[in-house]
Formats: sequence, structure tokens, C-alpha cells
Amino acid sequence: MEIFRITRNAWGQETLEGMSWDLLPVAFGLGLAFIVGHLVWRAVRRNRR
Amino acid sequence: MASRAPQSSLITRHAPIDRVFHWVTAVAVLLLLGSAFLPILGLEFSWVPLHWMTGVVLCLAVLFHTIRSTFFRRLKCMLIFPRHLREFAQGKKAAKYTLPQKLMHAVLGFAVLVAAVTGAIMLAKVDTPLWQRDPYLLDASTWGVVYVLHGASALAILTLTMTHVYFSLLPEKRAYLRAMIGGQMTREEAAEYHDPARWSGQRKDDPKENDK
Repeated sequence: MEIFRITRNAWGQETLEGMSWDLLPVAFGLGLAFIVGHLVWRAVRRNRR
Repeated sequence: MASRAPQSSLITRHAPIDRVFHWVTAVAVLLLLGSAFLPILGLEFSWVPLHWMTGVVLCLAVLFHTIRSTFFRRLKCMLIFPRHLREFAQGKKAAKYTLPQKLMHAVLGFAVLVAAVTGAIMLAKVDTPLWQRDPYLLDASTWGVVYVLHGASALAILTLTMTHVYFSLLPEKRAYLRAMIGGQMTREEAAEYHDPARWSGQRKDDPKENDK
């Protein structure tokens, strides 16, 4: 998985083009993982009370 | 429900101008995320006009909020000091904003600020009725850094927006969502997480609202 988008011109020079969009599902997954993790933690805490 | 509560038990949490700012920003951020990421996911449409126009609205909203909160409001009530961490660990009730609320504001605010500043620079690459594009404003490597910062902040905003919306929908935090819509919450709802001695919701009678 790439972190950055990099292009190469005819002379082989590399130019930074931005963040790789491979990271889009990672950002979405992080948000989802946090939400699921918090829901589990919240349920466990409620059951202990 | 706050609407059914006696008038005397209602306290003001957000002024109308702050609520307008919040919802303008919320709609702008959702439109910006949609116009940025949906084409990447394969939904093709002319996203650039929607993106730059919404970006300009977001920049103006951020500028307004920064000036208002820095010079005309109590900036201190949003800052995080070591004692807030100690108080949170000890289970002490907060003043107007809890530590998680301050952290969310700091992180999401920083990400939006980076996206807004880099987006404002990137406007130089768009032809609009207001200005002509000038793609040579920066050299190629500097443009690359601007794009990386814009993309990284957009990805962070996506994650943070998901968590922000999630927290606002939790039943135990619903009073905050209602307060962001109608401006008010009940004293009982406020007392759940806030110390009435440190935040009473009556700003004129509340010298401690600035989080002392």
C-alpha cells in the first residue's frame, strides 16, 4: 500500500502528487474501528455497573 | 426532553451565532468530503466547482470563528491544560466543556484549519469568475507538500467526523446534540457531566465560565 502518490517525468524526476487514495479505506476503517471499540467498551462498562 | 422541561430548568449552552457556525461548517465539511472522495470511489460528477465554492464558504466560516473566539469570546474555556487531565482522571466534573469535547475540538479544528489553509492556496489552480488560475504560484515540489497536507487533513477529517457524529447520536450524549440545535439543555442534563459551580449556563451571572 502506497502512502504518497508520486509521478515521474520524462527525465526520471519524481514529483510528489499528494496522499495515496489507498488510505481512504484506512481512514474509514479507523473511524469504524473506533466506533465499534467504543460501543464494546461502553457495553462492558454498563454490564459491570 | 428539553422542550417539555420547565423554563427555569433550561440553561443556554450555545448562542444562535455559534449554532449557525457549527451547522454551516458541518454541511460544508460533509459536502467537501463527498465531493472529494465520491469521485475517487467511482461516482463521477463535476466535483471541482462544488468543492472550491464550498471550500470558500468553509474558509470564511473558519476565519469568522477564529476571530470571534480569539478576540470576542473566552478562548481559555476551550484550551487544554495539565490540570484538565488530572481532573478527568480523578472523575471531576468539567466546566462548560469536558476533556473529550476539548480534545475533539482541538484535533478536528486543527485538521479543518490545515485543510482550509492548504485549500485556500490550491484555489490558485482553479479558474473562477473572481480570479484567473496561476498554477506557477509555487514550484512543483511545494505544490506536492500542499497536496499532501490537504489530503492528510481530509483523511483525518473523515475519521474524526465519523466519531463526532457517532458521539452526538449516543443516547447519553443526546442533550449536546439538542443543545447544538436549539441552544439549550436542562440543568439536570448539564449536571451529569458539568459542575454547576464552574458552569451554570447563565453567562452574565457566571464569572467562572472561563474554566477557572
